[in-house]
Amino acid sequence: MGKIKVVQYINQFYAGIGGEEKADYKPEVREEIIGPGMAFKAAFKDEAEIIATIICGDSYFNENLDSAKEKILQMVKKYNPDIFIAGPAFNAGRYGVACGTIAEAVQTEMKIPVLTGMYCENPGADMFRKSVYIVETKNSAAGMRAAVKKMAPLAMKLAKGEEIGSPSEEGYLSRGIRKNYFAADRGSKRAVDMLIKKLKGEEFITEFPMPDFDRVEPNPAVKDISKAKVALVTSGGIVPKGNPDRIESSSASKYGKYDILNYTDLTSETHETAHGGYDPTYANQDADRVLPVDIMREFEKEGKIGELHRYFYSTTGNGTSVANSKAYAAEFSKELKNDGVDAVILTST
Amino acid sequence: MDIVIITNNKKVYEMFKDKYLVEYEDITYKEILIKVRNKVHEGHEVLTHPLASSVKPNETPFKSIIISKKKGKLNYNSLMVIENSIATYEKFLKLKVEWTDAVLDDFRTIDLTMIKSALSKN
Amino acid sequence: MKLELGYIYINDIKFSDLSKVENGTLYVNKEEIEAMILEDENVKSVKVEIAKPGESIRITPVKDVIEPRVKVEGPGGIFPGIISKVETVGMGKTNVLKGSAVVTTGKIVGFQEGIIDMAGVGAEYTPFSKLNNLVLACEPVDGIEAHEHEKSVRMAGLKTSTYLGKLAKDIKPDEVETFETLSIVDSIKKYPELPKVAYVQMLQSQGLLHDTYVYGVDAKRTLSTLINPTELMDGAIISGNCVSACDKNTTYHHLNNPVVHDLFEKHGKEINFVGIIITNENVYLADKERSSNWTAKLAEQIGLDGVIISQEGFGNPDTDLIMNCKKIEEKGIKTVIITDEYAGRDGASQSLADADEKADAVVTGGNANELIELKPMDKIIGDIMPVNTIAGGFDGSLKEDGSIVVELQAITGATNELGFNKLTAKEY
Repeated sequence: MGKIKVVQYINQFYAGIGGEEKADYKPEVREEIIGPGMAFKAAFKDEAEIIATIICGDSYFNENLDSAKEKILQMVKKYNPDIFIAGPAFNAGRYGVACGTIAEAVQTEMKIPVLTGMYCENPGADMFRKSVYIVETKNSAAGMRAAVKKMAPLAMKLAKGEEIGSPSEEGYLSRGIRKNYFAADRGSKRAVDMLIKKLKGEEFITEFPMPDFDRVEPNPAVKDISKAKVALVTSGGIVPKGNPDRIESSSASKYGKYDILNYTDLTSETHETAHGGYDPTYANQDADRVLPVDIMREFEKEGKIGELHRYFYSTTGNGTSVANSKAYAAEFSKELKNDGVDAVILTST
Repeated sequence: MDIVIITNNKKVYEMFKDKYLVEYEDITYKEILIKVRNKVHEGHEVLTHPLASSVKPNETPFKSIIISKKKGKLNYNSLMVIENSIATYEKFLKLKVEWTDAVLDDFRTIDLTMIKSALSKN
Repeated sequence: MKLELGYIYINDIKFSDLSKVENGTLYVNKEEIEAMILEDENVKSVKVEIAKPGESIRITPVKDVIEPRVKVEGPGGIFPGIISKVETVGMGKTNVLKGSAVVTTGKIVGFQEGIIDMAGVGAEYTPFSKLNNLVLACEPVDGIEAHEHEKSVRMAGLKTSTYLGKLAKDIKPDEVETFETLSIVDSIKKYPELPKVAYVQMLQSQGLLHDTYVYGVDAKRTLSTLINPTELMDGAIISGNCVSACDKNTTYHHLNNPVVHDLFEKHGKEINFVGIIITNENVYLADKERSSNWTAKLAEQIGLDGVIISQEGFGNPDTDLIMNCKKIEEKGIKTVIITDEYAGRDGASQSLADADEKADAVVTGGNANELIELKPMDKIIGDIMPVNTIAGGFDGSLKEDGSIVVELQAITGATNELGFNKLTAKEY
């Protein structure tokens, strides 16, 4: 068998083309080794060679999802590689989503193994961990060496069709796939041993981690809503017309804070949604449908609530990671508290 | 008694129709689950576990579930139980098996005994 | 309460004119067994066959597996409340024909499941392939009701096992193992430093083909209660369960409960094993609440530090398991639960029908949906037809060369929730 043929996908930044200002860079293929490819080349030694590198801007990919995907797929097909490597994307959200999307497409269409790498909180990780192997990396490019050290050998194993070990052995993010095997001891003995460890307060490893529960205890009821200062917060992407902060239509990397002091009603002239995950027609016609400023103003007038808070906070929930959402909320909750807000109405889509 | 039996099992209907309120409909296992979920949304309580019996939901076509006659506020436990049951149903691969009449009758019997065992105690 | 188990190792089984145990061989008079089973007027005919480890034999659909035992000394007899009087058992001496079993088969309902392969890859997944089995295939009289049919086959197995057990009464065991449980007060005096641990055993109790009996009482009509570990060894709990082959507990499992044995292993060393709480798995959600309330209350009442909770069956028992776990944890008592998984053929689906974050220590018997291919066997005992359609079997699972592709759930005892096996699963 000759050398294993590798095609790699990277974004405009790692190709040395430029940062955010070049994020609209169109897909392009170069028959050379670029950026992170050098580290991979060193790790592959003589076993494999990168025969082509595909470059695409992150914005371009995410804004032209279908056509970009199709175009890149055609590029990969032309080289007929043994394995396709995307990234690693570390903590770059749109890059991660691009890596996951294209890797999954190559895997499905070409039936060849694929591999990508990213930080566990990259939105692409949650979106694609079940369908493609994603090596867990650090949250910045400083982790490149460590990432390549894990990705290169796993890529070789995948390309050769060798058996893939568990996530902890190989360094990829758990895909949530349960596989049977025979343990050294029978189940009852494992249970007794586990109980003894638990009783002693020692560390033990459950054989089946319960699904993630992120339950929030409800706060006590607002004593007198007619005196309360109420704020509106939404993950429905409502923004002033023109989306001044350029909140992304999916996998939002930020949230916005907007003044509604002078509004009693949101209209198609003044507000719209930035959300890319639902049909925006009705929200764009009348943003009150997502963020009910009109009704709140009525309530305010009728004395049903004390007052409507001057600012609302907004982001797009579409594909936005739980970790990011938590971070945004932690930040603006402090502001809300400092501003003396008693209650918040959260609207979603 | 303050119960309603939701069923697609003729045997259950025949046995209990004079004694309890039995809503019989010739619908699928899944449709029974959905019907019960709708009832939960209306405020009824689920009284027997929807996955009663270890006969897998992709094997038997019959299902009977007892709910409360009384409607109250939405019961979250009932909602959890029925939603989890629907999720469990969904994950089983749909079998394309033509059961013989005798086997179908066995399935009806098993389902009936589940309801019988529940009612005999209450 | 103290019990000596005397093991007489059986490494061969043969038909013979005279039933006896000699030099590790179990000799069986077939005619006597047949005559005994046919005393039941509901049984039309019975076939008695032998299946030994390594033979190319497939037994299906399996109803129960029972280990022959006999009371040598002490009160009562094996299977109290069913075969013997209801006297309390678990004391004195009991002899065991280790390495042998009675297996009952026969189609009670058309979709019945349960395969024991004595050879090949399937044999690795069932513990009963390692035993010298006497297999009973019972045919009922026509027009019999399913519950009467089930009872007849259940009793045929228990009677035959008792018959074989009696052959061991006067034989000197090859090995003796002693199990003793003190009163809770005495055990705390004896092991003041050790954490008090009990075993919470959940018993399948949903109705026909899903029942378990404790001293002859249908478990669905019981409240959670205490029982001594040695009582189980004398057959205080027997199985009437024919459904969910991979994770039902046969009478053999109850007699040889692995949690009990492994807790005894550590008893007096790292833990103080004070006893067992048995509880049921009923259909009514209110029953589930009541039973789990009682289990937690008993655990608190006897001052436990930790428990192991085992499950039986698929689906709604997940709810009982989680209720028990949660309520016991809420009393400040540490739990480990034993279950199995239905994660789909690809292993990607949610494994349990219920879950709670308090269940942070789980032992799993594996994914019951995983596929396995079973090569054809030279001989079939029972009825192969259901295999093509039963749980885990599916349309087209029967291949031309006679091999079948089934889910593990079709194999008797494969993903046992008492932790009887080494099989488990991990996340990839």
